Amino acid sequence: MRAYISVFKMRLRMELQYRGAMIGGILCQMFFGLVLVAVYRALYDSKPQSLPIESVVTYVWLQQAFFRMMFGTDSDLLDKIRSGDISYDMCRPINMYGFYYARIVAMKLMGSLMRAVPMLTLAAFLPKGWGISLPASLPGFLLAIPALLLGLLCVCALENITVAFTMRTLDSRGMQGLLTMLMMTFSGNVLPLTLFPDSWQKAITFLPYAQLLDAPIRLYTGVYELSAALGVYALQIFWIIVLIALGNVMWNANKKRMIVQGG
Amino acid sequence: MNTLRLYFKSIGMLLRSHLQYPSSFIMQTLAQLVMEGGEMLAVILIVDRFGSLKGWSGGNLYFFFGMMSVSFYMTEIFGRGITGDFPSMVRTGRLDSFLVRPRGVLTQVMCAGTDPRRITCVAVGVVALIMGSNISGITWTPLKALVLIESIAMSCLLILGLFMIEAIFCIFSVKSVEIVNAITYGGRSACQYPINVYPLPLRALFTIVAPFALTLHVPASWILGKPLYGWPWWAAVVTPLSGIVVFGIMTVLFHVALRHYRSTGS
Repeated sequence: MRAYISVFKMRLRMELQYRGAMIGGILCQMFFGLVLVAVYRALYDSKPQSLPIESVVTYVWLQQAFFRMMFGTDSDLLDKIRSGDISYDMCRPINMYGFYYARIVAMKLMGSLMRAVPMLTLAAFLPKGWGISLPASLPGFLLAIPALLLGLLCVCALENITVAFTMRTLDSRGMQGLLTMLMMTFSGNVLPLTLFPDSWQKAITFLPYAQLLDAPIRLYTGVYELSAALGVYALQIFWIIVLIALGNVMWNANKKRMIVQGG
Repeated sequence: MNTLRLYFKSIGMLLRSHLQYPSSFIMQTLAQLVMEGGEMLAVILIVDRFGSLKGWSGGNLYFFFGMMSVSFYMTEIFGRGITGDFPSMVRTGRLDSFLVRPRGVLTQVMCAGTDPRRITCVAVGVVALIMGSNISGITWTPLKALVLIESIAMSCLLILGLFMIEAIFCIFSVKSVEIVNAITYGGRSACQYPINVYPLPLRALFTIVAPFALTLHVPASWILGKPLYGWPWWAAVVTPLSGIVVFGIMTVLFHVALRHYRSTGS
C-alpha cells in the first residue's frame, strides 16, 4: 500500500508542474462554457422547463470545470505500450494495475482541481443566470463531495479498461476514441443528462458514465434529494467494484499475451 | 493546375497509406461516427425537449448543424496538414525540408496530410442536411443549390484560414497554442446553432473576427426562407465571400510569418 501512496504523491507533484498548459485550458473551457450557457438560455427563452435554468447553467459549468477529470489520459503509459517499455513495469514487485491506477487517480485529481478552482471562481462572478449558482443546500454540497471522489475512482477504472484495449491493439486511437465518445455523450458533457428525455432517465442514470460527474452534480443542484445520497453512493461503489474487477481481469489476460515491440 | 494535380496525387498516396491498416482505420472511422452521432443526438434531444429555438424550428436546426458538420469535417479531410499536423512539423523540423523544395510551402503543408476518418462525420452532416431540408420543406431551386455549395466551400476556406492563425502562432512559439481552439473548435460548436441565439459580444466575434455568420448563417437562413436580419437574396450570395477574404489575409500573414521562421534545429 505504501508503494501506491508514494506513486500517487509523486504524480500529484508532477501534475502541478504544468501551469502554462493550465491557463490555456481554462480560457478555452470558459469560452465553451459561455457558448453552451448562451444556447441553453436561448432555448429556455423559447420554452421554459420544469428544471430551472440555473440548474442547467450550473451543470454546464461543473462539467467544463472538471473536464480534465473526465478526459485526461496517461500519455506516458500509452507511449510505453507502443514502445514496449511496459515490459519494465511487469518486472516491478507490485501489481501493475494498482500502480497505474494510483497514477491516473493522482493525475486526474490534481489536473482537475487545478483547473476547477480558478474556473469555478471566475464562473461565480458572472452575472446572475450566466454563472454558477450556489449549491441547493449546504448538506447537498457536503454530500456531493464524496460522490465526486467516488466518481473520480469510477472514471479511473473506466480509463484503465480503455488502456487494456490499447494493450491488445497497440493502436490507442480506435477503441479509445470509441469509448471516449460514448463517455462524452452519456456523461452529460455534450448535453446535460438532466435534459435527456424523461423516459430515458432511469436507464441513463444507471449507466457507469452517469456516476462520474452527473451524480455529484445532481446532488449539488438538488435534483437528487438528500435522502437519495446513500443510494447514489451504493450505485457508484457497485460500478467501481465491477469496473476495477473487469479491468484487472483484462490486464492480467493481456499480461499473458503481451507482445513487446523490440528496439 | 500543376499544383492541384500534385495535391490530389499526394492525397491519394496518403489515403492508400491510411488504408494499409484496415482494422485500425475502420475502428477509428467508427469512433468518428459515434462522436458526430453523439453531437447530432444532442441536437435531436434538444429539439425533442424544446421544439424550437428563437423562432428556428427543429428542421432548421438540423439544417444548420448539417451545414456546419459538412464544412468543418471536409476541411479536416482535405486540410489536415494545417488543421492538425502543422505544430508537429515545426517541432520536428519537417517544415525545414519544405523550405528548400521548389514548391510553395503552403502547398506542401496541404499536401502533407489528410484525415479520411472524418468521412463518417461528413456523412452524419449530410444526413442532417437532408433531414433538415425535408422537415423544413425547402423548395430547391438551382440558385439555392449553388448558394449551398458556395456557402460550404467558403466556410471550408474560412475554417482553414482560422486554423492558419494557430499555424502562424506556432511558427513563432513552436508550441501549439490551445487558446486558438476557442475560435476553431469553439466556432464549430457555437455556430452549429444560428447566430441570433447569442448575445452581442459572441455575435460580433462570429461576424467580424471569425465570420461564420456570414459564410454559413446568412446563406443558410435565406435557403430556409427566413433571411437573417431580413437581408435580400443577393446578400446570401455576397456575404459567404468573406471566407475567401479571411483565407487570403491569413495566407499573406502566413508567408510573412514564414520569413521570421527559425528552425528548432531538431
